[in-house]
Amino acid sequence: MSGVDPDVVRRAQRGDLMALHEVLDVLTPYVRRLCGPIALQDAPDAAQEALIVVMRNLKDLREPAALFGWVRVVAVREAVRVAKQSARAVPAPLAEVPAPGDPALAADVRDVLDRLSPEHRAVLVLRDLEGLDEETAARMLRVPAGTVRSRLFRARASFRRNWRDEGAAR
Amino acid sequence: MTWPVGELDEVRRLRALAASFPGVLLEEAVLPSTFEDVWAVLGDPERGFPGLVPDVRTLRVTERHGERMRAAVRGRSGLRGRFDMVLRPGWCLMQSRFLVFGMGAVAAGDGTRFAYMAALRVPGARVLGPPVRRLLGPLILRRFVRRFTPEA
Repeated sequence: MSGVDPDVVRRAQRGDLMALHEVLDVLTPYVRRLCGPIALQDAPDAAQEALIVVMRNLKDLREPAALFGWVRVVAVREAVRVAKQSARAVPAPLAEVPAPGDPALAADVRDVLDRLSPEHRAVLVLRDLEGLDEETAARMLRVPAGTVRSRLFRARASFRRNWRDEGAAR
Repeated sequence: MTWPVGELDEVRRLRALAASFPGVLLEEAVLPSTFEDVWAVLGDPERGFPGLVPDVRTLRVTERHGERMRAAVRGRSGLRGRFDMVLRPGWCLMQSRFLVFGMGAVAAGDGTRFAYMAALRVPGARVLGPPVRRLLGPLILRRFVRRFTPEA
């Protein structure tokens, strides 16, 4: 993730189109990367909605250095919201998020994502893609830290059991 | 491990960009020509814009550095201005002291999904925008649809 020159952010905040273009160019791959695993087939809608929120409220960002942190919050929340709205049926749902380094993640991350709820996918993205701890992930998802922790904890048993059962059936 | 990455085409990006401008005019249509045919015109501002982009009588590119350009524009209304531009396939932005506008285009089957954005960079744009948008939006869009409708 490359940064944005603070001067460019400030010009963008004043409505300079060339600067806004530059900011959008830098943020687009980041937002696509966050929204993809959370919103899945609704990711184009989620990425668009996230960037609309970002562009509409950019002028209110006090500190240009906080840009990516703020965009991360917006993108994850919008991705969860859009994915929940689409109310897609989850095939053979997993109860919780798989643990870091779980072999299933390496084997078929898309299959794992398909079987998690949007909130669980968000926990996984924040932890495995963004490297955040549970406290921070909880704050971003507006749930108590214990909720994220218990989701992650229960996930290990649940996911491994599921993976083992499937392995035995193969 | 390969994580899925969300797609975001240039029309969606233009919708996002437009959110920066209060009172913006943002119109969309599917043009009945292929993306290649549409961008053969819109990707050549000096020849493609006059008579098509509202109030552009002549456009002369004065500087070019990759996808960044500077152009001198003269309009029928007396508009004379220097515009900073960004031009890449499916994406064109222009900005003068008083005006911004942009176009995004993406292939949609045999046609092209097209979006057009324009906004004033003056105090009161938030108030002026909506009536201007209602008045001009459909007219501008009709001009682009007509230009890219193949003759029978």
